[in-house]
Amino acid sequence: MSKPSDNKPSDSKRSGKTSGISRRTMLKGAAGFTGLATGSGAITGFPYVMSAEPKVLRYLGTGVNEGDLIGTQCLKDTGIKLEYITATTDDVTKRVITQPNSFDVLDTEYFSLKKLVPSGNILALDAKKIKEFDNITPVFTKGHLPNGKKIGDQGTAPWKVLYLEGKNSKVFSKTPTEFVTLIPTVYNADTLGIRPDLIKRPISSWAELLNPEFKGKASILNIPSIGIMDAAMVVEATGQYKYADKGNMTKAEIDLTMKLLTEAKKAGQFRAFWSDFNQSVNLMASGETVIQSMWSPAVTAVRKKGIPCVFQPLKEGYRSWATGFCVSKGVSGAKLDLAYEFVNWFLSGWAGAYLNRQGYYSAVLSTAQKSMEPYEWAYWMEGKPAEKDIKGPDGSLLEKAGTVRDGGSYDDRMGSVACWNAVMDENDYMVRKWNEFIAA
Amino acid sequence: MREGRSRSFYVLAALFAAYVAFLYGPMIAIFVLSFQGPDGGLTFPMNGVSLYWFERLFSGGNGIIDIGAAFVRSAKLGLMVAVLTVAISVAAGMAFRKKFVGQAVIFYVAIASLIVPSIITSLGIALEFRLIDDGFKTFIDENFSTSMGLLTSGLAAHLTWTLPFGLLIMFAIFNRFDPRYEEAARDLGATPWQTFRHVVLPMILPSVVGIGLFGFTLSWDEIARSSQAIGPVNTLPLDLQGLTTTVTNPDIYALGTATTGVSFLAIGLALFVIGFLQRRQSRHGSDAGSGML
Amino acid sequence: MHQSSVRRNVVAWLQAGPMALVFLAFFLIPLLFVVIVSFWDYNDYEMLPIFSGRGYTDTFEGCLQQLPEFCTILRTYGSTLKFCFLVWSITLVIGFTVAYFLAFHVRSKSWQIGLSLLCTIPFWTSNVIRMIAWIPLLGRNGLVNKALVEAKIVNQPLEWLLFSEFSVVLAFVHLFTFFMVVPIFNSMIRIDKSLIEAAYDAGATGFQTLVNVIIPLSKPGIVIGSIFVITIVMGDFITIGVMGGQQIASAGKIIQTRLDAIQFPAAAANAVILLAATMMIIFSMTRLVDIRREL
Repeated sequence: MSKPSDNKPSDSKRSGKTSGISRRTMLKGAAGFTGLATGSGAITGFPYVMSAEPKVLRYLGTGVNEGDLIGTQCLKDTGIKLEYITATTDDVTKRVITQPNSFDVLDTEYFSLKKLVPSGNILALDAKKIKEFDNITPVFTKGHLPNGKKIGDQGTAPWKVLYLEGKNSKVFSKTPTEFVTLIPTVYNADTLGIRPDLIKRPISSWAELLNPEFKGKASILNIPSIGIMDAAMVVEATGQYKYADKGNMTKAEIDLTMKLLTEAKKAGQFRAFWSDFNQSVNLMASGETVIQSMWSPAVTAVRKKGIPCVFQPLKEGYRSWATGFCVSKGVSGAKLDLAYEFVNWFLSGWAGAYLNRQGYYSAVLSTAQKSMEPYEWAYWMEGKPAEKDIKGPDGSLLEKAGTVRDGGSYDDRMGSVACWNAVMDENDYMVRKWNEFIAA
Repeated sequence: MREGRSRSFYVLAALFAAYVAFLYGPMIAIFVLSFQGPDGGLTFPMNGVSLYWFERLFSGGNGIIDIGAAFVRSAKLGLMVAVLTVAISVAAGMAFRKKFVGQAVIFYVAIASLIVPSIITSLGIALEFRLIDDGFKTFIDENFSTSMGLLTSGLAAHLTWTLPFGLLIMFAIFNRFDPRYEEAARDLGATPWQTFRHVVLPMILPSVVGIGLFGFTLSWDEIARSSQAIGPVNTLPLDLQGLTTTVTNPDIYALGTATTGVSFLAIGLALFVIGFLQRRQSRHGSDAGSGML
Repeated sequence: MHQSSVRRNVVAWLQAGPMALVFLAFFLIPLLFVVIVSFWDYNDYEMLPIFSGRGYTDTFEGCLQQLPEFCTILRTYGSTLKFCFLVWSITLVIGFTVAYFLAFHVRSKSWQIGLSLLCTIPFWTSNVIRMIAWIPLLGRNGLVNKALVEAKIVNQPLEWLLFSEFSVVLAFVHLFTFFMVVPIFNSMIRIDKSLIEAAYDAGATGFQTLVNVIIPLSKPGIVIGSIFVITIVMGDFITIGVMGGQQIASAGKIIQTRLDAIQFPAAAANAVILLAATMMIIFSMTRLVDIRREL
């Protein structure tokens, strides 16, 4: 069914392999044409448009990728109506396990895969059916930047969990196969967000998170596996210990890290732990906290309210994360074709540009670039001063002309990734220790 | 009819007013902040003054979630829960006035349903419906998607939450309820249904309406119990919670302000109508009940 | 005689049947799953249907070795019980007062209804929204602190207004006092007014009437309200989480953390423990006052 629409992009895919320059120029033409083709496809009608069944995908996710504008654009371009099911990060994972029949497409993080894939609720995707698969940034597939620079592989780095050994396998493959677990869409490198107006001095190290100077004004993420990594960054920054893998600690390492966290908590270091985007923004905007681990768009959201806030690059590097699309095991036939069509649309540029404009990064850089103005690309991706005012996807003013993005260019930021959000092998032990930490 | 108010009346009235003020306290921040300008956030200081967020709320399509649709879904579910809670609780309340085998079991099960953390009950229900789904898939229709939904698993989850409240409040209502009224009705030849309909129900009606309201409110606010059992379509609080993962706009405050405003209007109107009817009744009929206010 | 008791039982079961069915289908069967699962083993991503007491033994880990210091679970229950007691006593006093006012001082039905509704309206604004609103109200730069500083009552903003035990109790009282008011009010309006007049006529003071007549007669309502408040606070993790800045332990939070890590058997075991603990409290309460006797 989806064959006809698959032909053209695989052409562009092949040509993309030849050289960087010709790839870009080719893509500008070819993908623009593809976009047009799929767009008009909805109007002229592929077989399933004509059929009585409406093109609907139930989309479960946290809301990071879920945007009204994305839904509208997707409907316009492909005729697929997205039914968003929005939940918190933890609830999304639980729903996959408890209600695998209640969604078609799942938007989740790579680190969840260590739980989701073995649970057998995720369908292996066919890499050949993903038009832009070969153009997905090597950050995910190979663990290095487009310019070849290696990046940190501590934690659940995407390339460790990207491939499966076989179609129905629950085992991750170390080498590339055609069976893909999750098609990456959006990712970023997290660091500390700070209120420069209240701190009034430069911050350059993760160690500052637990600096008693900010007693009662610090915060970390309330997801145990991520909170402990932030603490591990502090441990290394203060030179107390060097982990073999911060994302996969031994029991002794967990004890050591939790001890540090417990002491800080008892001393009243933390104002609150945040568990969602909104809380992190509120804590920062209201001055409850002045230093906390944060997401880039959350910093942007604080700044949009006229409150100074910096997404502070630190010398020890970033803690990175990435999300993408999985498909439920229960999806098959025409519905599965629809899911591929949607994923292909998502990677085709418009959505990528939308995410880039929020301060996230998109998985296929080439298509996103094509959908952005050169000055936008220069600001968000190349770390250059903004030539014009920078606007958000909804048209609201984010930054005035002349500003430079915190942390600089894509290469600077993603190149400094130290570790990835993770689920440890000793997860059970870690969770028990976390409960002990809360009760302390 | 009217006696002079004692001093304790004024003291208690003041305490009551303080309690109401306390209840509405956090709402004040919501009211104020909902009138911010387009750049407003969820905390002070205010960023301009406008009706922008109300316009967005009522024009629909504000951001990720169709709040209007979620509102309707939740209201529908809430009404359903309220009606069922009233019907089932009143019937069970009548049963508990007699001694019957298994009474204690039902009582302690109801209490247990209150105690077991909502999220656990929710998971249990999800598991149960998953088994049902699998059954459907194996035996009836291979392409069957899910039997979970607002009015199946969602309704079930909410009832396990509202029914214990309904039952226990019925206990308070039937506490020392004089059985002589019913005996009198029976002596006059009324059937059990007639006795209930014309004697018992009118006496407990205001409290029963209260149970309905209580049930609606519990369902309307419920999150944990719905979270795993609601199926593919969220209720309003779940959508709002999902919304807070990305959005920091005051439109959710505008929603709060609008809800409160509309509630006040509705209730003011209802009280006015009741007052009007009472006055009419007292003018046309006996003067019983006059001067009650 | 015997036949009438059979008939009574049949009628009663017809009346209580729908409720029994709902509980059986949607609470007891799921609960049975939960209990079974609590004895399963688990790994990082799935439950293993092999008998294991791990969910329970892990929970009580270190409870003997660490004596006389409390282990995690005891400390957690200690904190939960403390909140329970505080919230229960405060909601009881406020709830009783409000119910008393509504039942004995507000004389007309429509005013009673109107005032009850007034107390209900705030609950129609979703909990999610109301929770968020505590920050602009109680935060470091919130309305309350601003007012206090401007009125020169304090020199610098009070930190303990938010993300503290205080704010947790405050939010609980705010949310659950009404759960106390409703049953107590319903108990009170059944009190025969002539009893109170008789007490006054016999020379009792207002206080004596309250202690010797009204409180004993509204006991069932008090117990029912207490059941509501205690059961909810014992299992809560959302309010404690949000208002305590996710830093305060509670029995519910342990379960939540376990669930979030997809460790269902451990979560189920903790739920069973919580159920047993709370059931004991409620059981002893209903021993003191049998709320089903005076129906």
